[in-house]
Amino acid sequence: MNRLTPEQLAAGVQDLPSLPAVVMELLSSIEQDDIDISVLAKKVSYDQALTAKTLRLANSSSFGLQVKVTTIQQAITFLGFQTTRNLITAAAITGCFPSGRCPGFHDKAFWRHSIATAACARGLARRMRFNQDIAFTAGLLHDIGRLVLVSAQPDAYAAVVRWRAQHDGDWQAAEQAVLGIDHVDAGVALADHWNFSGTMRQAIAYHHAPEVHGAGFLAAIVHVANAIVHALDLAVEDDELVPRVSSVAWDAMGLNEEAYLHLFRETELQFEEMSAILMA
Amino acid sequence: MSAPYQLTPLAETRPGMVLSDVVRDAKGNVLLAQGIVLTEAMLGSLARHGVDMLPILQAVPAPPPVDPEAVQGRLDHLFRKHDRDDLGDWATGILRRYVEDYRLQRGVDA
Repeated sequence: MNRLTPEQLAAGVQDLPSLPAVVMELLSSIEQDDIDISVLAKKVSYDQALTAKTLRLANSSSFGLQVKVTTIQQAITFLGFQTTRNLITAAAITGCFPSGRCPGFHDKAFWRHSIATAACARGLARRMRFNQDIAFTAGLLHDIGRLVLVSAQPDAYAAVVRWRAQHDGDWQAAEQAVLGIDHVDAGVALADHWNFSGTMRQAIAYHHAPEVHGAGFLAAIVHVANAIVHALDLAVEDDELVPRVSSVAWDAMGLNEEAYLHLFRETELQFEEMSAILMA
Repeated sequence: MSAPYQLTPLAETRPGMVLSDVVRDAKGNVLLAQGIVLTEAMLGSLARHGVDMLPILQAVPAPPPVDPEAVQGRLDHLFRKHDRDDLGDWATGILRRYVEDYRLQRGVDA
């Protein structure tokens, strides 16, 4: 019996590895602009591995800096607080989940998909004049519920992987069929547990249903970015499958073909560089 | 990351090329940021600003030649749940066409 009750899900979320306290603080305050930057910069610099990874990202060509930054404070000066916060979060989250615990679940492919979706959502947001940093983080976290399920119930999730291989369906259907809950439920539970902002929680909750009333524009951006990344085949999975694209979300982007072809190119270039850093 | 680049005369640059560095006008004002994918409009604007050379990112290694049949086969596999005749699913259909144009290097309006 592989069914997961909401209680088991909640317990699984409690047992997850915790993020550095400073990253939790950053995630919960993503829409606040009035937090004390110098204190945060100091707290992050106590974590050397996190600092090193963040600075490598900041110095990657995606951010176009003319000088190499060597401290978190410098990164904030040159890139701004929002972008730096975003990079710290990405550097912390990609390193915090244990890998290789569930047979058939490809951790590397999961992160390749997440990082590419983050890059694509950021590119879409720029074209839509939407907050690029929030879009990047939402893209990175949209499927985080899958990692929650894999970490909490690796054996049960192995059954999900087998079900999906047999039925060639999408992950959500496979999870619902085997576990009775899906990665969206798990992602929302994690968003509550880690105290994500309301916007981020909405984007995770509705990235498969952006046409639902109240889903929000961020959910539409993540939805389209997710489909694009599946279509660009960046995760390198044999059984990669492009999900049905919501016409409401696609309409909301309002971009022409030329804009999309540029976005594809930009996504591929940024993905390559970022994944080399984040998955090192 | 310091990517290899080549200073290229403006006349030889094409839309789709990527800037390896920031581009400034004679006064030092930034015209375009590093990493930008050039468009026709940008190239026209650079000419008006008197820019004659651009630092163009070199793709390394050179992209392998596209095998149209293999590419189309893989794309059909990725979009195996999409039905081209399902007009209600037009959004997936447009994404499919754009990605085909992109992968098969057909460009816009091919």
